Amino acid sequence: MADVAIETRQIVKAFGKRLAVDHVDMRVSVGEIYGLVGPSGAGKTTLIRMMCGLTSPTSGSARLLAHSIPGEREAVDDRIGYMPQEHAVYRDLSVAENLLFFGQIYGMDRRMIAARTDELLALMQMPDLGKQRADLLSGGEKQRLSLACALIHSPELLLLDEPTIGLDPALRSEFWEHFRTLKQNGRTILLTTHYLEEAGRCDRVGMMRLGRLVAEGTPDELRQRVSADGMSVSMEQVFLELTQASKSRRSDA
Amino acid sequence: MNHLNIFRIRSIAERVLRQIWHDKRVIAFMFVVPSLAMLLFGFSFSGDIRGVRMAIIDQDQTDLTASIIDNLQHDSTFNVTQIVTDAPEPEQLLLKQGYQAVVRFPKKFTSLYYSHFAMGVATSAQGTIDLTLDESDPQIAASVQMGLADAVMNLGEGGPIDIKTRELYGVTVRFIDSFAPAIMGMVVAIVCTILTLLSVVREKVDGTFARIWVSPVRRAEFILGYIAAFGLIALGQSLLVLSIGKVVFSIVINGSIFWAFACVILFAIGNVGLGALLSALAQTESQAILFFPLVILPSVLLSGMMWPLQAIPKLLRPISYLIPLTYSNRLLRAVMVKGLLPWQEPVGFAGILLFVLLTILSATFVLRQSARE
Repeated sequence: MADVAIETRQIVKAFGKRLAVDHVDMRVSVGEIYGLVGPSGAGKTTLIRMMCGLTSPTSGSARLLAHSIPGEREAVDDRIGYMPQEHAVYRDLSVAENLLFFGQIYGMDRRMIAARTDELLALMQMPDLGKQRADLLSGGEKQRLSLACALIHSPELLLLDEPTIGLDPALRSEFWEHFRTLKQNGRTILLTTHYLEEAGRCDRVGMMRLGRLVAEGTPDELRQRVSADGMSVSMEQVFLELTQASKSRRSDA
Repeated sequence: MNHLNIFRIRSIAERVLRQIWHDKRVIAFMFVVPSLAMLLFGFSFSGDIRGVRMAIIDQDQTDLTASIIDNLQHDSTFNVTQIVTDAPEPEQLLLKQGYQAVVRFPKKFTSLYYSHFAMGVATSAQGTIDLTLDESDPQIAASVQMGLADAVMNLGEGGPIDIKTRELYGVTVRFIDSFAPAIMGMVVAIVCTILTLLSVVREKVDGTFARIWVSPVRRAEFILGYIAAFGLIALGQSLLVLSIGKVVFSIVINGSIFWAFACVILFAIGNVGLGALLSALAQTESQAILFFPLVILPSVLLSGMMWPLQAIPKLLRPISYLIPLTYSNRLLRAVMVKGLLPWQEPVGFAGILLFVLLTILSATFVLRQSARE
């Protein structure tokens, strides 16, 4: 079980009568990139917020790095990095000041933070922007700063909520290169996206619709479920086919 | 040529009104704020000073003193609560029992009053009333002196009555001297409450709030961080107010500056808690701005800052006692003008301690709820 980074069992989040997350069973292994894909309102953000301990589940359970969430979240909070859907940076602080603050709350000293800041700004291809105020950055730069803030303390597990939303295709590609580099360095990444073509870049994918996890597997496995050769179908087609099949199964039931 | 198009103007106006209509909080504020402003300003400005606590020591006990006491009892400026023939020193009544004025009719007051015209000839004899006064609020002091002078007018045949006033702290307190502590409190209240409210709401809107709750930062650390920052700001502001007061207006400071600053910081802590508490009620920065008049108006008008609480109509006075600045004014005036230590003004000190305790505990609780919205 030591190689399981995230595990949920029959996890449910209800807002009134509406189930935002509906009995989801999910497992993410250490060192993999797991993508939760689905349209807006599918329950991806609520699921990731429950894993962060920001929202309590209505029922069911979740474990992160072998600790129960939200009960034992304090045991893992310096081992996870979270990037919310908003840019979530301090607009009136500079890039370096943002990184300094987030480094300090994780107990890093100024020297460590300075070294890590240089490293991250180089990685994010914004080495000269350390003194720039965050509100003067472009959308893409803010997104990169937000990712850098989640990475400042070198967490084992990254929970990224729509990290590529609003980015142009070139920048999205760049972000995926970062994710690959992080994976090579042994990090586990759980990310959400509504760009279905991005699902093909994950090690494993969970497809969500109306709060349910309707399909799960590697991109190839999912493709093979809808087409014999598996290679000629897009992830969008896969999603549409599998969600349609799940809908039919539910109405039959 | 581009003409003004009435339909486009109408559609913009309609859209703005629709947006307001969709935000019920804005609608509520649109009605609450002007009503509150009119009521508070109207009542506050129309109030005369009433109910000043006065003790009377009547050592002469004659029809004349009874008649003056009767006049004082019928004057709504005073709340004559103790008539004693013998009593401890007037200073003790002021300091220990919370009276604001003590009138003493010494023995032979009446005989001296009537002997002024001895055998139809005016002599130098005259009745003398001792008035001992808490002069820390110059408006109250002035109204006591005027009220007492009114009470001894037209008493009938007799000589003049001399009112000998003794000031408790031995200084003549001007309006600005007692106003400076109130300004310090008001600045701290407004800046700490509003800036904390705006900062926390901004953290929620920008998503940094969520990011902080996923980190090892605890709620108490978050609040204490804000307290440390705004405590420093409050200290800086108080220094500025005091320096300007001293240099430009030559204000009199009888007490300890150290204790004054300690009280200001304590009050700042409570206001940071209040700001964090209010932040739970606002989801956006524009909603947060709507709270400003609710914080500022009652504090300025009903806390005893501009005029004494005794000048505030009885109907509104319970609200005064719910306003933290009321207690800060009491405490800071006691420390700075009267030269007392904070705990020697128990009502103000306890009020501020309770304010700090309630706001910080509730803010810590609501922050957890907000983080989990």
